[in-house]
Amino acid sequence: MKKTIKIKTNLLAGTVMGLFSVIMLLIMPTQVRLPMWDSGAPSPRIIPGICLVGILICSIILLVQSLVFHKEHIYEFVWENERKELLLIGALVVFVALTKTLGFIPAGILIFCAIQWYEGERKPLIYIYTLAMVVIVYFLFQNVFHVDLPAGILKGII
Amino acid sequence: MGYFDYITSAFAAVFTLGNLAFIFGGMLMGMVIGCIPGLSVTLGIILFLPLTYGIKDPSTAIISLLAVYVGGMYGGSISAITLNTPGTNSAIATTFDGYPLAKKGRVLQALDTSLFASSFGGIVGALLLLVLAAPIAAFVSKFTSVEYFSMAVLGISLLAGVSGNSLPKGILSGLFGILIACIGVDAVTGVSRFTFGVSILQFGIDMLPAMIALVALKQVVGKLAEFKVNGGKMEDANKIDKKGLSLSEAKSILPATALSTIIASFIGAMPGVGGGVAQFLCYNQAKQLSKHPEKFGKGSLEGIAAAESSNNAVVGSAMIPLMTMGIPGDGVTALLLGAFILHGMQPGPNMFTKQALQAYTIIVGCFVANLFLWPLGKVMTRAVAKVVQVKYTYLAPAIMLFCFAGAFAGTGNFKEMVFCAVLLVFSYLLKIMEIDAIPLLLGLILAKIMETNFVTAMMSYDRDYFIFFKRPISLIILVITVLLVWSMIRINKKVDALNEVQAEEINKMHNDLEAQEAC
Repeated sequence: MKKTIKIKTNLLAGTVMGLFSVIMLLIMPTQVRLPMWDSGAPSPRIIPGICLVGILICSIILLVQSLVFHKEHIYEFVWENERKELLLIGALVVFVALTKTLGFIPAGILIFCAIQWYEGERKPLIYIYTLAMVVIVYFLFQNVFHVDLPAGILKGII
Repeated sequence: MGYFDYITSAFAAVFTLGNLAFIFGGMLMGMVIGCIPGLSVTLGIILFLPLTYGIKDPSTAIISLLAVYVGGMYGGSISAITLNTPGTNSAIATTFDGYPLAKKGRVLQALDTSLFASSFGGIVGALLLLVLAAPIAAFVSKFTSVEYFSMAVLGISLLAGVSGNSLPKGILSGLFGILIACIGVDAVTGVSRFTFGVSILQFGIDMLPAMIALVALKQVVGKLAEFKVNGGKMEDANKIDKKGLSLSEAKSILPATALSTIIASFIGAMPGVGGGVAQFLCYNQAKQLSKHPEKFGKGSLEGIAAAESSNNAVVGSAMIPLMTMGIPGDGVTALLLGAFILHGMQPGPNMFTKQALQAYTIIVGCFVANLFLWPLGKVMTRAVAKVVQVKYTYLAPAIMLFCFAGAFAGTGNFKEMVFCAVLLVFSYLLKIMEIDAIPLLLGLILAKIMETNFVTAMMSYDRDYFIFFKRPISLIILVITVLLVWSMIRINKKVDALNEVQAEEINKMHNDLEAQEAC
């Protein structure tokens, strides 16, 4: 049987977002400095301040709902399933990192072929298709939309 | 130029070869994306958005996105009928009768009914937009920055109030979006906000990578993970036969189609409701007024017509609050608002004075897209339905590559891809906390409008923070905000309960049908 963790989302959201808003409110004076002179405009801290106070109030409401009224929304966290999604997200983060160093085409080929392997694809055709898609998207953006995606190590060749 | 001059010029502007090509291309893409279960119309719009960068005329760009919206709404019914899995949320009610009819071997009849009803609903919704947009915009044009700020509050509150399963989480999400939009250099005072010394944060976070990561990539990753969990199994789709909808059958579904269109047009024009709610209300109403309510859930043509005419009618009517007041009616129109801004247009009454021809061209374009849905659907449905059977591992890499390339194309800077990756990780956290990302996106999109009008109002009224409650129209808008959020939550709860009861009944009927088949 798959291991399931029942996450109380009201409690989690209230705690995480509440802490976030308190920390941000505390550091706001260092992160949003007041202008040197009065231009007549309202302070640049007003809108972020209202948002942070609003987030804090919503977080408190969520915590009260969860802890006092026991009103909860449960998220069933099945590690076996979530792991797959997390791995895919991780692969895309690595893709972005590799695009910076290797370029869009090499990073795309490496990561998306790895994703195909992970998804259980073993036939050569799908790898040829994936490779072709990476190259097509690159040249589509370069020649049709006039956007040069990072060429990386292929700079000067393509 | 008068109203009719604008309409005439708009028709002339829409009926160019280029515009028609974009309309057909957009609708086709919408149909394809819409018919793939798990991929929504919003994803279709986000994928198509980078393609519109090269278009010089902003109205053409928006028309092509509207065409994706129109095509996607119909496309959702294809998988609902052939697979019993709605391609989009707005096609859930279509499965109630579409699938049983398909099981009886009458797939084409079900698809034809869906196409007929979608086209009918879409055309009426677009006509409503054409008629009502100008007078509403004329009324709203009297607003000052105070009222505009209150309108932005109304927009975010409504979407926050009706999204997801919790009001505090919806509001929290919307506020978080505004906060993210505050990152970077403040345009009025020149002060850096929440940059933490990171240089790429100086220019703020654009809405495009946020849209891509929080909607498109999130959906595709989720779907790909699900594909892996299911071991790559695909469900068998019902094959399309040759017997379509006859003229007499079309006449028989006309009352249900017309009724649903009227109800959905009214609902769609209310900010914050959208097609998801409209379909259930219309389906239920059509069932109550039908001469054969016993056939509902067993393959009733009226049932399909009611569900499908409603979701396409919403396309036009949801554009009314967006174009006249700058308030999106649902998640899709929230993204369209972002697209308007990216193309240098600000929906609202000023658009009908400063960019009047473009505004009317967009409205006429929406009407024309709905007009062409019928012929395009007749020709392309059979081919598009085959996409349902394409393995997800073929679609996902293409979509994801396009997403990252599209994000990069926004400014041509690598930081957009970095934001995409970071926001994708963040979207997973939101999922675990069950916080809907759509209010966040709307907050991000509307933040600039809100802050600009807030600053203008403060400077005009000597930093009087209570001015929003002192000016009568602004006060009325704020009161309406509270009343609407409250009533929308109540309506949504009722519809959810109704939906649950209906879905249970329908599932039971579907199970009986399958059991009979097995025997």
